[in-house]
Amino acid sequence: MTTAMLELQDVHTYYGNIHALKGISLTVNQGEIVTLIGSNGAGKSTTLRTISGLNSPRTGQILFNGTRIDRLPAHEIVRLGILQSPEGRRIFPRLTVLENLEMGAFTRNDSVTMKEDLERVYTLFPRLRERIAQKGGTLSGGEQQMLAIGRALMGRPTVLLLDEPSMGLAPVLVEQIFTIIQDINKQGTTILLVEQNALMALAVAHRGYVLQTGLIVLSDSAAALQSNETVQKAYLGME
Amino acid sequence: MQTRIRKSMIGAAFGFAIALISGGFAGILAGLVAGLINGYVVPEAEPLADKRRAIVQGLTVALVGSVLTILGIVLRNVVIDPIIGVPLNLIGVAIAAVGAVLLCVLVSVVMCVVRTEPPARERIGMAIVVGIILVTYPWLDQFLNLRFMNEVIPVLVFLLMALGLNIVVGYAGLLDLGYAAFFAIGAYAAAMVSSPHFGLSLSFWLAIWVAAAVAAIFGLILGSPTLPLRGDYLAIVTLGFGEIVPIAIKNLDNVSLSLWNYPLFVDVDLTGGTKGINPINRPWLPIIGEFSPSNPIPWYFLILGIMLISIFFISRLRNSRLGRAWTALREDELAAGAMGINTVNVKLLAFAIGATFSGLAGAFYGAYISAIFPESFRFDVSVMLLCMVILGGLGNMSGVILGGIIIQFADRLFLPQMSTVVQKLIVASGNESLRDINFASDFRLLLFGLTLVLMMVLRPQGLVPSNGSARVLPVAAGEARHD
Amino acid sequence: MATSHPRVAQGVPWRSIGKILIVIFCVLFLTLPLIEMVKAMIADPQLLVRQLLIGLTNGAYIALIALGYTLVYGIVELINFAHGDLYMLGAFFSLTLVGVFSLTPETPWLIRGPLLVVVLLATMAFTATLNMLVDRWAYRRLRGIGSRMAALISAIGISFVFQNLGLLWGYLRFPFMNGVMGSNAVAPKSFPALFPNVNLLAGTGVRFGAKDLIVVGVSVVLLAALYVFVTRTRLGKAMRATAQDRDAAALMGIDVNRTISLAFILGGALAGASGMLVGLYNGTAVFDMGFTAGLRSFTAAVLGGIGNIVGAMLGGLLIGIISALSDQYISTKWTNAVVFGILVIILVYRPTGLLGDDTAQKA
Repeated sequence: MTTAMLELQDVHTYYGNIHALKGISLTVNQGEIVTLIGSNGAGKSTTLRTISGLNSPRTGQILFNGTRIDRLPAHEIVRLGILQSPEGRRIFPRLTVLENLEMGAFTRNDSVTMKEDLERVYTLFPRLRERIAQKGGTLSGGEQQMLAIGRALMGRPTVLLLDEPSMGLAPVLVEQIFTIIQDINKQGTTILLVEQNALMALAVAHRGYVLQTGLIVLSDSAAALQSNETVQKAYLGME
Repeated sequence: MQTRIRKSMIGAAFGFAIALISGGFAGILAGLVAGLINGYVVPEAEPLADKRRAIVQGLTVALVGSVLTILGIVLRNVVIDPIIGVPLNLIGVAIAAVGAVLLCVLVSVVMCVVRTEPPARERIGMAIVVGIILVTYPWLDQFLNLRFMNEVIPVLVFLLMALGLNIVVGYAGLLDLGYAAFFAIGAYAAAMVSSPHFGLSLSFWLAIWVAAAVAAIFGLILGSPTLPLRGDYLAIVTLGFGEIVPIAIKNLDNVSLSLWNYPLFVDVDLTGGTKGINPINRPWLPIIGEFSPSNPIPWYFLILGIMLISIFFISRLRNSRLGRAWTALREDELAAGAMGINTVNVKLLAFAIGATFSGLAGAFYGAYISAIFPESFRFDVSVMLLCMVILGGLGNMSGVILGGIIIQFADRLFLPQMSTVVQKLIVASGNESLRDINFASDFRLLLFGLTLVLMMVLRPQGLVPSNGSARVLPVAAGEARHD
Repeated sequence: MATSHPRVAQGVPWRSIGKILIVIFCVLFLTLPLIEMVKAMIADPQLLVRQLLIGLTNGAYIALIALGYTLVYGIVELINFAHGDLYMLGAFFSLTLVGVFSLTPETPWLIRGPLLVVVLLATMAFTATLNMLVDRWAYRRLRGIGSRMAALISAIGISFVFQNLGLLWGYLRFPFMNGVMGSNAVAPKSFPALFPNVNLLAGTGVRFGAKDLIVVGVSVVLLAALYVFVTRTRLGKAMRATAQDRDAAALMGIDVNRTISLAFILGGALAGASGMLVGLYNGTAVFDMGFTAGLRSFTAAVLGGIGNIVGAMLGGLLIGIISALSDQYISTKWTNAVVFGILVIILVYRPTGLLGDDTAQKA
């Protein structure tokens, strides 16, 4: 069995005294799309923040290709190839689209491949090419989401963490985004996808975890989760 | 036993410091202070119910306290005095040592015994002990020829102001850097009505109310622009006011104001400008007569009285609805507003009430010095007060008083003493360039600055932490990984 | 305005009353004096132009310091109280180097020029390093959630420490400094007149000296360099990104702490340059000169829009001109009050400043 690319082992994260993650263990293998679903406040974003180093786990380990990364500062985790498109997009409002993308490539300094990657992003998200010189804050929600994902792609991620890419988007855009997510994955990027929209998430993912108040309560292939009765009732809106 | 000895080092350290720095018969005072502090601190850490064990506790504590105090006395007389040229007086040393031990034992034992009582009686008991010390101090001072009275009175004035500042900064969480402005305003208001300056010559007892009222009004005026401002901006704006008020006072000796084209008044000497206002009426009481500059005792009791009344009022305020509103405001202004607290009124009241105490202090100070000048109200007064509050611990009165005493002690006694000692050493070493260095004046800013920085970095809750202060100034907390 | 909810108490609208009161106050009492002032300005246009030029020079040095406030506030939302005193220390440091290099008004320009550049660069390096160290030791560990007051108090403390350093600097009277500190340690220090005292516009009745040209010229160069750095370079953009959203910046692989240090370094360097320029221009340095300069520069930064780099430059120019006009047409005694009054007015009426602020959280 090959080592998982990304692995969390019994991770506990606290916000002050609040026990947000109560022992999360999950794995993401190379080339997969793994999704983490759950309702609001379950700890999905906290999980991604912990992986990216914005929060540090009090106990537990996070392994990337076998090496521990849980004590590393955020900027070093990025250098290892783990990039995130955060919840709420968090694009830089007063930088232009181009500058936002440049920031995504901050850790790289090879200008040739950077140009290639810019092209790649523009191909994936043609709308961004039209808005190159516009300030990020003036884009629509959907465009900002594209920018956030594009920005993360600019860092040439080995693992791409996506935090609720569908939030606040019109259904047409949501479908577009998820198609693009699949494309990115087919081009070789491993993806850990956190979503409230369980329907779409399970449709594109290979495997999934269900998170409930800081604990993983279910873990299975996406197909199995889709036919799981509890999941259907709680997250897929079926009776 | 371990705890007991460890905790008694606190008071002992104070005794040591006082004895070392003050010299002369102040060593006896050092013993008293050591005993008092230990008598508070040790039973706090090691509460007892049995009076006999308490006496033993007191004696142990006094032993530790006395030893260090005597060490301080000896070091002072044997090492430092010769440097500064005071002749060695072995009898004096002996008397000081014995006196220190006696007082230390007495106070320690009494305090420890008092502390065995149930809380209500304990508080009364402690109040009585402290009260006796405070009341008899002037005569103790005379007897030991300490001549501290002229320093003690300004210290009490500053403590009163520190208590007022504590309301604004500690209770309400508003960082006011220009607090000395109200001191000036109160002083000038009182001076204007109780001196020949405007022809009015009201008695001090009336003037002091005028000062309080005027200060409160200015508290409202100067507080209002800060209402929508967040912490840092509020600090800067109050800082500005603290600067502008002395400038205005200095320059308002020649005021002409006209409403459109109609002159209201021309060339009025409002504040006396740089030459200030004098002479100011002194308080008068039956039997004692008019307070005179040569007898500090009535002044002492007056300011002590004002302080005690103020402490009473402030603690009542603290436990009132307003006090709780202040706490809510300090913790989270947005939430406080959402809960129905009128943040505007609450803030304005904090400024006004805080200013009142400063104004009172100013009125007293003016009468005490019998004259006031713009120079007495500089910015470093505001910062010194802030140091006192921060050092002691935001939001709690005993902390503020303790912090205030320490800062004042350092500023008035320690720095000048160190100055004299170091001076002599420098002169002895023959170094030319450092010849005119003067610790008293040249290192004050460093003292205040370092106090603020070190306290923030090392112990933001202050020396005497209270519930509130830990949350106003949490040190980098939480899981967020920025550092 | 929405209809008021019956259960929400209608409090006294202090804010609006206050604003109206201020307007009434100004109209009643200040209109005539203002009109007098304008008449005086028109009556003697040459004097006015002279003041405007002085304002330009003022604006230059104030803008340099204002940038330091704005850079730091934009990125960590802290008013670096000690910044004005950094300017003062820059003046003292440059004076020391002037003594070490034995620069006098007689030194030939071939030597004086390059050495002055060296002094400038060294001073900038000194203040930059000092600012960075202060951030690392006194502010960084206080950067947790909700500790803004702690950092602010710490900054006040550092300001005092700096002022005392300035006070004690006069005691550094080593032989290799060639007596530049003067004989009285705590008195204000004098700089040798190293800038040529030539009036470039002689004959026009207006004064704009070579001194002014140097100050304005160097300032413009430094400000332009900073502008280019912040808008065009990767690190500069990273700084702006960090100011706009710290977490997102960390997710880009930006080392947030080092970026913050960079802001302190740049701001500190500019303050030091300003100190040296003003020291040589005015010929004097004293330990509390940081307070006035700091007040004016901070007002300039807020006027332009705190966090906004172009705003700080514009604000600097405006405050420079206003203070020059105030010095001449009102009185130097009141200029600080005037500047401070402007600060209060901006904060009450338009807290985002003229060009809008540029921080993560709106002020």
